[in-house]
Amino acid sequence: MSALSFLKDSVFSDEYAGCRGFLQARDTRFKVAIIFLLLLAVLFSKNIYFLILLYMLCLFLAMFSKISLGFFLKRTWIFIPLFSFFIALPALLDIFSPGRPVLSFNLAGITLRITQQGIAGAVFFFVRVLTSVSLAALLVLTTRHYALLKALRIFRVPQIFVMTMGMCYRYVYLFIEIIENTYLAIKSRVGFVHSVKKGQMIVAVNIAGLWQRSYILHDRVYSAMLSRGYCGEPKAIDEFNSDFKDWISLTAAILLFSAGLLWQSCCLS
Amino acid sequence: MAELLFELKEVYFSYLGKFPALCGVDLSIEAGSRVGVIGANGTGKSTLLTLLDALVFPDRGSIKVMGRELTESVFNDSVFTRTFRKRVGFVFQNPEVQLFCPTVKEDIIFGPLQLGVPLMEVRKRLEKTSAALKISHLLERSPHQLSIGEKRKAAIASVLAIEPEVLLLDEPTAGLDPQTTRDIMDILIAENESGKTIITATHDLHIIEEIAGIVHVFGEGRRIIRSAPPAELLSDQEFLQKHNLAHIHRHKHGNVVHVHPHVHLEHHGQEKESHG
Repeated sequence: MSALSFLKDSVFSDEYAGCRGFLQARDTRFKVAIIFLLLLAVLFSKNIYFLILLYMLCLFLAMFSKISLGFFLKRTWIFIPLFSFFIALPALLDIFSPGRPVLSFNLAGITLRITQQGIAGAVFFFVRVLTSVSLAALLVLTTRHYALLKALRIFRVPQIFVMTMGMCYRYVYLFIEIIENTYLAIKSRVGFVHSVKKGQMIVAVNIAGLWQRSYILHDRVYSAMLSRGYCGEPKAIDEFNSDFKDWISLTAAILLFSAGLLWQSCCLS
Repeated sequence: MAELLFELKEVYFSYLGKFPALCGVDLSIEAGSRVGVIGANGTGKSTLLTLLDALVFPDRGSIKVMGRELTESVFNDSVFTRTFRKRVGFVFQNPEVQLFCPTVKEDIIFGPLQLGVPLMEVRKRLEKTSAALKISHLLERSPHQLSIGEKRKAAIASVLAIEPEVLLLDEPTAGLDPQTTRDIMDILIAENESGKTIITATHDLHIIEEIAGIVHVFGEGRRIIRSAPPAELLSDQEFLQKHNLAHIHRHKHGNVVHVHPHVHLEHHGQEKESHG
């Protein structure tokens, strides 16, 4: 139940997308392009200071977009960056990153050393993941999901795909609600399920029931589409409103991306 | 004499060829009329509307629309399909089915866009229908964020935006609070007064007098067992009870509990006498 609530909150919450902040005011196409450029800058950068600069920019963007910093940090530090930290842990050791030892310890009779190069590599990897996740979170938090889907059209994604994705987004919520209500109904009648076997059976029955419902719903939705004139080729309006601020933001992102590359080449030479 | 819009002769329909849903329905509907379809659960009301919207086709018998017989093959003609879909709009019983787009706005413009309405006109219709249904503030919302009343209004708006001549409505007021029911009724009455044909399937006898000039009652045999003006039908309590259509009210006056069938305004004098 709590997993479902988390999914509902994280995927369907429009709380920050509805605020009047800096990123919310940007045209979705420009916003996608800006974030994409910044992600590329993160990807190509081999300079920790540049990455830290980009991460600071993320925090500023979050603040100017009226996203609570506490919420933003919680959202971006949990899961992926933490996982990446654990993945990067072995890189600290001299087995993978030979170099100047900083600390040594014994584990099951084997002497392991943490090297300076290992620490630098792990921190670099962690900051890169953290900045990338922060940029992606900024995009998702400040954009309504359907607008994000519509922005896919700028990458020449076919309309039928965008429409199907939109319908998935629309109906996944309905199915989550059905699952939630089913579990509440079970709970109200039999209480908590203690036996694993019984729990598995309930899950299996639910999956089957949900599949059947989705099949029936699919049939009816298609009828509703036909009834309103759908004949196999969806038509939609791509309504976007850009202004000079969007162009300025995009130019800034391009400059930042170029600066990153330049910095890179200067460091290499 | 008004133009004959729908003409059904001996229509039979079954789901998967083995579950009968309609068994010999004869029906004529004139343009601009208000038609009510009532009947207990499972008597074929929704199936009838689905057939009238040409989403399914009869196993036997014929349905003529504006003089042309409705068969699957006539919908291979894209011009006819477009004309038919422009002229006939269907509001489904379940708004979750009707509202399949990520936002209310996209749902409202879906029909006109598919039917080739020019963009300027689509925008005008969006503004007009959302204002008429008082849902302009909901346009950017996702259907899952709406209450059932708002969903129903959005579903009706998505069909009204097509500006059809015929409106098929399946239980348009089911599960709604009295004020939302009133709002929807007013919209439907206004649509009929502007010349549209309104065909409503409902269980709600409270609304039938307002939205129907003639009522067709479906019986357990899944065919029409009686067609009459609503006033005549509602006064026949014995008939309504026999076909599971009477509203039985149980209420208290002081310490006395009354149980009686649903009565209308014109009966209130009698009611007062009987209570006295």
